[in-house]
Amino acid sequence: MPYIRYDTREIAFKVVYYGPGMSGKTTNLVHIHRTLRPEVRGELLTLNTDEERTLFFDFFPVELGEAEGYRVRFNLYTVPGQVYYEASRRLVLEGADGIVFVADSQASRLEENLQSYRMMLENLASFQIDPKSFPAVLQYNKRDCGGPLPVGTLEKTLGLNGIPVLEAVAVNGTGVMETIKRVTRMVIERFQI
Amino acid sequence: MRNSVLTQMPYNEILSALARDSGALTVLLITRQGTVLAAAGDTEYLNTTAMAALVAGMFSATREVARMVGEGQFSILLQQGERRHIHISLIGDQTMMVIVFEDQNRIGLIRLNARRAADKLAQALAGAAERTHAGEDLALPQFREYALNLIDRIFEP
Repeated sequence: MPYIRYDTREIAFKVVYYGPGMSGKTTNLVHIHRTLRPEVRGELLTLNTDEERTLFFDFFPVELGEAEGYRVRFNLYTVPGQVYYEASRRLVLEGADGIVFVADSQASRLEENLQSYRMMLENLASFQIDPKSFPAVLQYNKRDCGGPLPVGTLEKTLGLNGIPVLEAVAVNGTGVMETIKRVTRMVIERFQI
Repeated sequence: MRNSVLTQMPYNEILSALARDSGALTVLLITRQGTVLAAAGDTEYLNTTAMAALVAGMFSATREVARMVGEGQFSILLQQGERRHIHISLIGDQTMMVIVFEDQNRIGLIRLNARRAADKLAQALAGAAERTHAGEDLALPQFREYALNLIDRIFEP
């Protein structure tokens, strides 16, 4: 649900990074923030616990510039990954225009990935969103780990047909900008008034 | 997919009057999605974008807490600090008004003025909601093309 102001000619979209705990959602956001020119990015807001786990969300706005006389902004959010923060995740997901699902490629984390994805589908359904037509990309993060999950594992198990898939090592930035580019392009391509 | 659309808002005037009449430091009107609609008073010291995102999250969380104890919604939130305090109230179901003030003795005045401003804002918002077609001048194919170009430029690896 993009936010449109016709009087001041602004359009704001919301992209949410979703996924299990410690899969690298915040790391993605931090890398994007570091890579962007200062004039297009707002302050990065992080709400962490003492153990540096995301408590509520991380957030920063990206000012894209003007398109057809409208200022375009993407607000980027992460959700907290831990299972017990389900309520916070739901709240952050509300009103999202696009999602990046950050999966942890470690083979031992397969179940957490699946559980998190299923929860995301449930949340989307509760907002009357059809996941099949919703802009979403799947990022396999931590591709540098030993014996990573083969790409295709999650898609096959969850029956995801046609979802764009990207591989990443967010700690060194590999695949991070490609991911945000892909999801924001999808959001714009499917944008309707 | 439904868009939130607002046009031609006299909000700034209502907020400025509220800030003046109640002696508030800052007044913000924000959406439930965490976007600033209008601001009045001193905003120099404040990151209003981050503030809006946080308050929207806070209010959503409070709504869930309200449901847990059998309430539909807490319509007012009051955060009390040492020097500064925040009064947050719901305007309709999509908008929130945030008042930052310093003199705690003014809480009664803040509440009174907040309620009055809320009625005016609700009317203005309802009027704006009826004028949802003002954006038909937005040519979607061109908009998409420009926006995609911007994305390619800005998110360059």
